[in-house]
Amino acid sequence: MAGIELLSDQGYRLDGRKATELRKVQARMGVFGQADGSAYLEQGNTKVLAVVYGPHEVRGARSKILYDRAVINCQYSMATFSTAERKRRPHGDRKSSEMSLHLKQTFEAAVLTQLYPRSQIDIYVKILQADGGNYSACVNAATLAVIDAGIPMRDYVCACTAGFVDDTPLADLCHAEESGGGTSLAVALLPRGGQIALLQMDARLHQDHLDTLMEAAMTACKGVSKVLDEVVRQHLQEMSILTGE
Amino acid sequence: MSPMKLCVPGERLCSTEDCIPGTGTYLRHGYIFASLAGYVLRKNEGEELPVMSVVKETETQLLPDVGAIVTCKVTSINPRFAKVHILYVGSTPLKDRFRGTIRKEDVRATEKDKVETYKSFRPGDIVLAKVISLGDVQSNYLLTTAENELGVVVAHSEAGAQMVPVSWCEMQCPRTHAKEFRKVARVQPEYLQA
Amino acid sequence: MATVQVSEAEKLYVLHGVRDDLRVDGRGCEDYRHVEVETDVVSNTDGSAKVSLGHTNVLVGVKAEIGKPKPMVPDEGYLEFFVDCSANATPEFEGRGGEGLGIELSNTLVKVFSNKHCLDLKSLCISPGENCWVLYVDVLLLQCDGNLFDAISMAIKAALFNTKIPKVHICEDEDGGKEIELSDDPYDCVRVNVENIPCIVTLCKIGHRHVVDATLQEKACSVASLLISVTHTGMVTCVRKVGGGSLDPESIFEMTETGKRVGKALHAPLMELLQKEESLGSKRQKVGFLG
Repeated sequence: MAGIELLSDQGYRLDGRKATELRKVQARMGVFGQADGSAYLEQGNTKVLAVVYGPHEVRGARSKILYDRAVINCQYSMATFSTAERKRRPHGDRKSSEMSLHLKQTFEAAVLTQLYPRSQIDIYVKILQADGGNYSACVNAATLAVIDAGIPMRDYVCACTAGFVDDTPLADLCHAEESGGGTSLAVALLPRGGQIALLQMDARLHQDHLDTLMEAAMTACKGVSKVLDEVVRQHLQEMSILTGE
Repeated sequence: MSPMKLCVPGERLCSTEDCIPGTGTYLRHGYIFASLAGYVLRKNEGEELPVMSVVKETETQLLPDVGAIVTCKVTSINPRFAKVHILYVGSTPLKDRFRGTIRKEDVRATEKDKVETYKSFRPGDIVLAKVISLGDVQSNYLLTTAENELGVVVAHSEAGAQMVPVSWCEMQCPRTHAKEFRKVARVQPEYLQA
Repeated sequence: MATVQVSEAEKLYVLHGVRDDLRVDGRGCEDYRHVEVETDVVSNTDGSAKVSLGHTNVLVGVKAEIGKPKPMVPDEGYLEFFVDCSANATPEFEGRGGEGLGIELSNTLVKVFSNKHCLDLKSLCISPGENCWVLYVDVLLLQCDGNLFDAISMAIKAALFNTKIPKVHICEDEDGGKEIELSDDPYDCVRVNVENIPCIVTLCKIGHRHVVDATLQEKACSVASLLISVTHTGMVTCVRKVGGGSLDPESIFEMTETGKRVGKALHAPLMELLQKEESLGSKRQKVGFLG
């Protein structure tokens, strides 16, 4: 790693955080009235909008219909102004397709799809500003949107990234840390059961370090789940005040 | 009313020995967990264990289920079946239309082989039907109108006026007094306006 | 466009209401819905704005990059528009479904803004014939409830007002070639003059009268619409008829008059709001979508 020091001697990172400190997470549910469920989430400087439509009849190819479960359809797309360099195509490139598949895999593990046979649930995620941890922010925002839509889920899905520098695990990487060339692990966790929905790691890592890295990532995910829990409870209370229950 | 408890998906509510799981919950390892974000409702149903369910204020999308009475609009007919769009499930409107099929054999209960779909439905009719099956991969929801209370409720004549039912198989246009064949639903008198 | 289906009875209801100058939500024929404008919502861009007009939600980001000027006009910069109809608005826009509408919108925007009175393009020039500023205006459609053009034009005006283009210094290096230096100071920037940027007003003909700011339901009852882009002095830069029905010349004349009047009245409150937001400076609490 030339030049940029990702972890200073005093234990501070590029943006002044400690090694295991998460970025500030702020979120809001029910942002759009027209969709069945929607949520907006900010994780540090990464801003994501998630929208859920469904369950409704399967659109397009009839061959996609599953007789006993709902089909989950995800689309991940980035706004053209989200990255430092202007992106030409919002979606349709390989990275977006891969992310869409990952999101689909994650939510198939969490949503109780057996309750909606022969139907389709659409999850659309839009990145308004990308500053590292895109996938994790998407998963967190999509969880809130699915809860807002009233679609039953086994548990929250919380995701976070973790990296490894100088034998110290770092939690919740920002863009500079991700592109620094070191290891980057993304984990999507169902916090109460402790089950992992998706695990992805880039770059090389020694086998001995894997456990500490996983631990750090899972602790970070649990931290995120606390924040999401707060947001959901607050939203429910606001809704009950509005409907006068 | 005592304040109801809030719950979030994945929260453990109680064990299966105390309650029966209702809507908005799921079973795991002998415990009942919530699957929706909402309020916990515990209802006593006689001698059996109370039912525990989670309710949300806003109604989520209902899907047509087997045995449900649905209101649909006929989109096309052919000698073997009629294709419909399901608009309402019970009394809740659907945000998105679902497609359904009423086969020739399911139009009425008696003399099934002598049915002519052209004399039972026309495109544009509003029909009350019951879901008999979710269908397989190729087909849509299968519906039936083989009961007295099911069948055509609103239909327009060829002249364009809304027709009045005359018998279980005929409707009459008030403008031209022409009679047309339909499989008419016997709507309960209290639902009919004077 | 996301469509709603209206029954004959609903169409009649809307028609009669409009005839008596009373629309479904209680507005008059020339009233806009509640508008919320906020700038500087996305920090990766040089300028951004979010506009919500009723249920229609639009986000615009402006990025300034250095590029080669067009050969016909070597001493001017230019604007590039891109409209992204995202799947958030409606599932029909998933994949390539929204491309048709997006291309139509961006082509219309190009026509509206290609007037030399709108924006001083010469100020975007760095060195004639070699370098100039290219402003990439990216429009993101988040929710669609009718009247997209009005919301988009207001958002573009607000985003361009908010755009801060860094100042450039051209210095000669050893080989005689020109080198461009961008100033590092975030406050040392050039602002774009948005005085003359037009606002688009869409008028829909329903029955014998026309309405401003139609919702999707009202649009489904109308035969045709007229798009007029008006600057703050009342000057009309572009007129376009959209929709399948036909309009007679008197209606077009009436609609143009109304459009001019309504459009002219739009600019003053918008500029006032933008100035007020600007004057709050860094103390302003950014709400974005969290509010």
